[in-house]
Amino acid sequence: MKRVGMVLAGVLVLAGCAAGVDSKSGSGGQTPKELRLAIGGESADGYDPTLGWGRYGSPLFQSTLLTRDPELNVVNDLATKHSVSANGLVWTVDLRADAKFSDGKPVTAEDVAYTFTAASKSGGLTDVTALAKAVAVDNDTVELQLKRPQSTFVNRLISLGIVPKHAHGKDYARKPIGSGPFTLVQWDQGQQLIVQRNENYYGTKPAFERIVFTFTGEDASLAAAKAGQVSMAAVPSSLAKTTVAGMKVVPVKSVDNRGIVFPYVADTGKKSADAGPIGNNVTSDKAVRQAINQAVDRQALVDGVLEGYGSPATGPVDGMPWYEPSSAIQGNDPAKAEELLETAGWKDSDGDGIRERAGVKAEFTLLYKADDTIRQGLALSVADMVKPIGVRITPKGVSWDVIDKRLHADAVLFGWGSHDPSEMYNLYSATQAGVEYWNPGYYTNPIVQKNLDAAMAATDQATATKFWKAAQRDAQGNGFGPAGDAAWAWLVNLQHTYFVSDCLDVGKPQIEPHGHGWPITAGITGWRWSC
Amino acid sequence: MKVAVQLDRRRRTLLYTGLSVTVVLAVVIAGSFAVDAASTTQLAGRNLSPSWAHPFGTDRLGRDMFARVLSGLRLSLVVGVSAAAISGVLAVLMACAAAVGGRVVDRAITWVVDLFLALPHLVLLILLAFALGGGTRAVIIAVAITHWPSLTRVLRGHARHVVSSDYVAISRQLGRGRWWIARRHVAPQLLGHFLVGTVLLFPHAILHEAALSFLGLGVDPAEPSIGVLLAESMRFLSAGAWWLAVLPGLCLLVVVKLVDAIGENVRALLDPRSHHL
Repeated sequence: MKRVGMVLAGVLVLAGCAAGVDSKSGSGGQTPKELRLAIGGESADGYDPTLGWGRYGSPLFQSTLLTRDPELNVVNDLATKHSVSANGLVWTVDLRADAKFSDGKPVTAEDVAYTFTAASKSGGLTDVTALAKAVAVDNDTVELQLKRPQSTFVNRLISLGIVPKHAHGKDYARKPIGSGPFTLVQWDQGQQLIVQRNENYYGTKPAFERIVFTFTGEDASLAAAKAGQVSMAAVPSSLAKTTVAGMKVVPVKSVDNRGIVFPYVADTGKKSADAGPIGNNVTSDKAVRQAINQAVDRQALVDGVLEGYGSPATGPVDGMPWYEPSSAIQGNDPAKAEELLETAGWKDSDGDGIRERAGVKAEFTLLYKADDTIRQGLALSVADMVKPIGVRITPKGVSWDVIDKRLHADAVLFGWGSHDPSEMYNLYSATQAGVEYWNPGYYTNPIVQKNLDAAMAATDQATATKFWKAAQRDAQGNGFGPAGDAAWAWLVNLQHTYFVSDCLDVGKPQIEPHGHGWPITAGITGWRWSC
Repeated sequence: MKVAVQLDRRRRTLLYTGLSVTVVLAVVIAGSFAVDAASTTQLAGRNLSPSWAHPFGTDRLGRDMFARVLSGLRLSLVVGVSAAAISGVLAVLMACAAAVGGRVVDRAITWVVDLFLALPHLVLLILLAFALGGGTRAVIIAVAITHWPSLTRVLRGHARHVVSSDYVAISRQLGRGRWWIARRHVAPQLLGHFLVGTVLLFPHAILHEAALSFLGLGVDPAEPSIGVLLAESMRFLSAGAWWLAVLPGLCLLVVVKLVDAIGENVRALLDPRSHHL
C-alpha cells in the first residue's frame, strides 16, 4: 500500500513539475522571482495593525518598533532606543531616521503616536488598553504614557505595526501602506494574497521579488505540496509522516501548549456572573491535582497523540526566557501519585477501582472541543492513564457553547501559548478569575499573586523575568506549577510541522506561539534560496 | 414435485432468515461486551494494520478497531430498532385514523405525509438533530420521528381498502363505533404490511444514523459509531490505512443487507403471492 502511495506521489510530482516556483529565472542556481506558500493565516479583517493584524508572525506590510530575534530576545526595529521611567508609567522610544513608508513619506514620531492612539481606541485584538496617551515629543522621539505600570507593554512595541497617519482610513485594511518588507499587490479574499518586495525597506531586503500566499485547507495544502505547486505547506502533525518528493519536513518548536485546567475551588453552590456553576469537590483537592500531574506519561502523549512532533509540557511558558525550569516535574510516576492520594485520605474502600473520601468519589468530567482530534486524543489518553491510580476522568467532547457554561465546574482541555507573559498573568491571577477564558478554575494564591503583580509592575525586563519565574516556583517552593499548587495539568507543547522545499532555507525559526501557520513568517526577510 | 419445490424454498427462506437473525443478535451481544475494549486507548500500539491480535487493526490512539466496529454496529442496531419501532407504530396509528376518521382526518394525514416526503430527508434530519442539541439521544429521536411517512402512505391505502369492504360496512350497520372497527377490523389486516414495512425501515434508519454521525451532528465523537469511524478514517486514508475505512464500511453493509434480507424473507413468508408477482 505504501509503495502504491509513493508511486502515486511520484506521478503527481511529475505531472506538476513547476516545482513551486516561477522558473522565469531558469534553473542555473538563481533565486526564483516568486515563492508560493500554503500556510494559511489569512486575516479576515484585512491588514490593519490597529485592528489586530500582525500579532503573530510578520506584519509583512508594516514594521514594528521592536522585534524578537530567533532566540526571542527583544531587538530594535524601527526604534533605535527605548527606555522606561522609574515609575514605569512613561515609555520613551527613539526612532530611526531612514525609515520610509512605501509611498515614499518618512516614518515620524507623529505616525507612531497616531498608531498607538488608534489601536487603544479601536479595542482591536492587540491589547493596548493600558495606554493613557501617546505624544510625539519631536520628529523622532515618542512618549507612551500608561495608566498603570505594565512590563508586558514591551510586547505591544513588538507586535503593533506602525501605520502612516496621512494614509490611514476606512479602507486601509484592504490597501495597507507601511514601512515593512513587502507591499500588497493583490488580495483575493479566501483564495490568495500576493505581495511584492518593498525596495524602500530599510532592513534586510527579502530574497524573493514576489510571494504568493494561497489560503487552502490542510488537505489541499498537502496536495499542492505533492503536486509541486508550493514551496511551503503547513500540515497537521498527523499528515507529517507522508513523504513529499523534493520537500523536507521542518518541525518548529512552539509554546502552543495543551493542558487541563482544574476547578480550583470547592463547589459551594456559587454561580458565576452568567449563572454557570463554580467549583468541583474533587479537583479542589491539591492532592488530586498533583496526583494527576504525576500520573500522566507526557512522553507517551507526545509519541502517541502528536506522532512525536511535540514535547512534554509542565507549564504554560516552557522554553520562554521567563520559564522557571525548577517548576517542572518528571511525571509518569503512578506510584508517587497513589502515595499522594493515600496520604490525603483518598482510599478505594468499596473495591470498584475508584478512590473515595468522605463519600465523594474521585471522579470528574473533562471537557474538550469535540472536533479537535488532538484534544480528543489527549483527553481520552489522560483518562486511561489516571484509571490505574483510582481516579476516573470522563472525557466529553462538546462545543464551545457547552464549555462556556461548564468551564468553572468541570475540568477543561485548553490550548494557549504566547510570546507575551501577560498571558501567564491572566491565566493565574485572581483578578482574572472567570473573566472570558482566563483563569476559569478561579485559582488564587496570595504569594503567587504578589509575584505576578510585581512582575507586571517591573520597569525593566530582567526584574520582570525574576518575578515571572518566582510565580511558577519561588525559593520556598510556592507557585502555581505542578510541584506547588498544580492549578493545571499541562500536557504537551506542539511542534508545528511544515513541508518546506529542499531549496528553501528558512534559517532558524522562532519558538512559535499558539496558532499553526502564519507565525513562521516571523523570519521571512531572512529566507534564502539555496539551490 | 411442485409441492416439494415449494416446501424446499420455504424451508430455505426460513433457514436464511433464522441465520440472519442469529448473526444480527450475535452482533448486538458481542457489541455489548466490546464497549470497554472499544474505548481503551493503547498509545504504544496505534495505527496497526490487521493482525491476529487485532483483526481489524487499531486506530490512531491504539483502540482495537474490531471492538469499535462491533460496538458501533450495536449502536447502529439500537438506533435502527428504536427508529423502526417508533416509526412503525406512528404509521399504523395514522393509517387507522385516516381510514376511520372521516374525510377531514384523512386529508390532514395525507397532507402531512406529502409535506414530510417533499422535504429532503437528510436536511430534515440535520435540522432536527441540531435543534435537539446533538448527541446520541438527539440522533435516535431525529431518526425515529422522520421515518414514518412512506410507510404511513402504504398502510393508509391498505386500511382504506379494508374499510370499504362489505363486512366493515355490515359491522358499521350493526352499530360498531369507529374505534372498535379500527381495532378489530383494520389493525389486524395491517399486521403483515406493518411487520415487513418496519423491518424494511431498519436499514434506512441505520444508514441515516451513520450519515449524521459522519457529518459530525450525531453521537459524541469519542463514541464508536460507524459514521464516526468512517469520518475519522478519512484523514488516514492518504497515509495508507485502508482498513480504518474499508472494514467498518463493509461490516455496516453486511448488517444492513442482512436486516434487509430478513424483511424481504418475512414478506415472502407472510404473503407468498406478492413474492411471485
